[in-house]
Amino acid sequence: MSFWKRLRARWRAPRGLKFTRSGRTFFVVTIGIGLGALNTGNNLLYLVLGLLLSLIVVSGVLSEYCVRDVKVRRLLPDAAHAAEPFAMRYELQRERGLGFALSIRELAPGLTGEAFVAVVRAGEPTIVRAQLTAARRGPYPLAELEVSTLFPFGLFAKTRRLELPETLLVFPRRGFACVEPPESGGAPAGDGGNPRRRDGTGDLLGLRELSHGEDARRVHWLKSATYGRLLRVEREREERRQFVLSLAERLEGEALETRCEELAALARRLLDRGHEVGLDTGGHRIRPGGGPGHERRVLSALAWVGFER
Amino acid sequence: MSPQGRTRLRLVLRDLSATSAFASIVLSGSVPAWALVAYLLALFTSLAGRRPLSTRPTFSVLLLLLTGLVLFGAAFRGLMDLIVAACVFAGLVTSHRMLSESTRGTDQQVQLTSLLMLAGGAALTGELWYGACLGAFAITSSLSLALGVLEPEGGSEEHFDVKPVMGRVGTGTAFAVAGAVAFFVLFPRLSWNIAARRQPPGLLGGTTGMSDSVRLGGAGDIKSNPRVVARVRLSPDPGVDNLDAYFPGRSFDVFDGREWKGSGVAKRPRQLVSFKRPTRKTVSQNIELLPAYGSRTLIALEHPIGFNNVTAVGSAGSARTPVVEVADEEVRVELPGNGYTYTALSDPDATLDALEDPSRYDALPSELDPRIGQLAAHVLNGEARPLQAALLLQKYLQRDFTYTLELEGSPADPLAEFLFVRKSGHCEHFATALTVLLRSQGFAARVTAGFFGGERIGSAYVLRAGDAHAWTQVFVPGQGWVTVDATPEAGRQNQPARVLAWLTSMYERLEDLWRARVVDYSFQDQLQFAQQLVRPPQSATKSEEVTAPLPGAAPVAAAAVTAVVVYVVVQRLGRKRRAGDYRRNKASGFLDQIEARLSRAGIVRLPGEAIEELTLRLTDGAHPMAPALAKATRAYLGARFGGASLSADEQARLLAALTPPRVG
Repeated sequence: MSFWKRLRARWRAPRGLKFTRSGRTFFVVTIGIGLGALNTGNNLLYLVLGLLLSLIVVSGVLSEYCVRDVKVRRLLPDAAHAAEPFAMRYELQRERGLGFALSIRELAPGLTGEAFVAVVRAGEPTIVRAQLTAARRGPYPLAELEVSTLFPFGLFAKTRRLELPETLLVFPRRGFACVEPPESGGAPAGDGGNPRRRDGTGDLLGLRELSHGEDARRVHWLKSATYGRLLRVEREREERRQFVLSLAERLEGEALETRCEELAALARRLLDRGHEVGLDTGGHRIRPGGGPGHERRVLSALAWVGFER
Repeated sequence: MSPQGRTRLRLVLRDLSATSAFASIVLSGSVPAWALVAYLLALFTSLAGRRPLSTRPTFSVLLLLLTGLVLFGAAFRGLMDLIVAACVFAGLVTSHRMLSESTRGTDQQVQLTSLLMLAGGAALTGELWYGACLGAFAITSSLSLALGVLEPEGGSEEHFDVKPVMGRVGTGTAFAVAGAVAFFVLFPRLSWNIAARRQPPGLLGGTTGMSDSVRLGGAGDIKSNPRVVARVRLSPDPGVDNLDAYFPGRSFDVFDGREWKGSGVAKRPRQLVSFKRPTRKTVSQNIELLPAYGSRTLIALEHPIGFNNVTAVGSAGSARTPVVEVADEEVRVELPGNGYTYTALSDPDATLDALEDPSRYDALPSELDPRIGQLAAHVLNGEARPLQAALLLQKYLQRDFTYTLELEGSPADPLAEFLFVRKSGHCEHFATALTVLLRSQGFAARVTAGFFGGERIGSAYVLRAGDAHAWTQVFVPGQGWVTVDATPEAGRQNQPARVLAWLTSMYERLEDLWRARVVDYSFQDQLQFAQQLVRPPQSATKSEEVTAPLPGAAPVAAAAVTAVVVYVVVQRLGRKRRAGDYRRNKASGFLDQIEARLSRAGIVRLPGEAIEELTLRLTDGAHPMAPALAKATRAYLGARFGGASLSADEQARLLAALTPPRVG
């Protein structure tokens, strides 16, 4: 953090207070009644003025009670894609007292949306969900979030900032159609690369004796025990191809974004079809693989492109 | 409470707060009947849950604007008071919003227009009920607004208990009211109450019955009416609880057999009326005639010698007004008003040697029953002195006649009926009988209407409608008009039901306190308050203060022990509660402890990495702590999201397994 940022953080007011629209009108009416009381000397107007001013003070005190003792824990989403809503969860907790009408908002630029909870009780962690939307892909440094309340009268929004440093990784935007890439030039390596081998995960083809050096995980233990020797299962191998998606190094700006989105869509589609997908972003390379975990690795790598520093 | 229940409660509270504010302007009696009916219709429709204007917003807004134009046009042309017009318009806007679609914005608009009505009510009235309206508005609007902010913009399906909200907001509102009182007391008054208004008597109208004539017959219903019609502050203050004094208002000299009328000639209006110069015995009276008084005739203690500073207080404010003297009959206000304030001077020793026109006071009706003269002669038995004669007749009437308010029928000669048939009647019958009996023997006498009584409430004496009374005044040369009241004592003052009397007395005490401490609170009062704070009034004598013993050591020690016990109990209760909180939050607390263990082992979660992802990462990397962490993670996820139990022993066991590997 730079010196100025630190200085600004040090001198920042511990709470923010903002008028709502009705709060502004209320304030104007209060000023008007005050002027009327001073001008006419009408004691009942003084009484009304006193009540309105006291309500403002009480509003400040009650809202402070709501935001003061609240602890927030952020529960990051499994997957967040740019330009579409995703669920961010927050765990709110109070040691004592009650909190009412609390809104939670991320202060990171580019993230919109907020969570709302009506009541938070002491000692009962409350999970609330916010529908956030990220404008772009990439990592979002979530340094602070804002807890605010309109309680009790909706005249002012009392805000407290909480430091909760974490990083939210937003995957590229979804919904792009693109042409299928050519098959990878390199032949599949190892047992898994030979489509004629009967070591797939498809339908059962038969049993045969286990040869030396073969994978013991293929042994059918029940039949082996029946026949007294190690028998392995042979299954039909599904047609699987390998693709390595590559990203040109020199891409920047809109072109880079578009390419990332295309590659993300391609990777998802290929992985859905059972193919193995790898990624080459120039500085970073992921070997072809499959499954949900691999898809996440590919999308994460695409999300980081351009933000490595 | 369900979302529907909360919405219903919020809207009812909103409508009640708006009604409190509208009631504050209705109290002034200035609101036109059509506006009152329109508001009540809107209120009941809204309480029934119907919002007919939500489907026709444009048409209804145009209609509202048109009504506003008419109202302000009427105010501009002087047909209606501007503040009343503004308040009525605010009431109509409130009604419109109540009948429109209910949103948080609509609710807040209702509250804001209600606030404007409340401010208008403060300018239009100063009654005690205004305080009640203000309090009701503060409570209901606070609760309604609080329930409103608990609902997110798009609505909510969440069920929760609203009692804690009500409790918190109720406490806050109580503090706000206390703060308002503190502000009211301490904020310096730099201006005077120049906009004081007095509302009209309202639906009940004026009740005094002070009219141009006194007509015999009919029941005396007014004697049971406890409404306060006048407040009187005397200087010097006699300091008694019941004044039991006569406050004459109007005298009548012409009797036609059924009705008394006055024949005095009105003089030209003047700012003050003075009959005689004040003396040492002059009693000054600051009199306030309330809207319920319902007449322009001024009253004062017996033998008034002057009236001045007469101010008429109306809906548009207060203004000095001239008074008209009707010779030997009454002094009345020239300009109409809802109420009047003035200063009257009375001299109990004032004398009058001779009457200007004695023939006005011994005339008898042409068809007077001859038995009346015979009766008077019989009772007086030759008594020629007017006062002694009056006292003899008074004694006769009080002995042989009874007081009653229950009179039926309308006899042709009510006086003869009273004297020879019924032998019972109320103050008008007794006063008429005594006056006519005196006149039949040639004594100058007249009937005077006014009030008898004076009940002390606070620093003032109040006169009620039931204190209205009529009595006889006989002229005694050298003394002037002397009051001789033939009505039995029990029938002179008001006679309300006991419970009603108690209630009205309590109300009057509150009203007096309200007026003294709120409505008429001034810079002078603030100075006195400040002086009392700096230099409290010395109730005890100096010697008593000096010898007052200091509290001994035992009470101090007891107080200290009590304080320590309370502190320890509070601390223990707080600890127990905190421990309870932790038990409820065992899953989250367990995760914190897992993270602490991992941190000690040098394992740090990556940005955005969940605990289960960390576990997978360590398992992939064959970290020695991975198996223990996997078990702990599974237990945490089960307890946190799966509702599984996680005992303290199990937590301890899982955490104990999470120990960093020993090197070497």
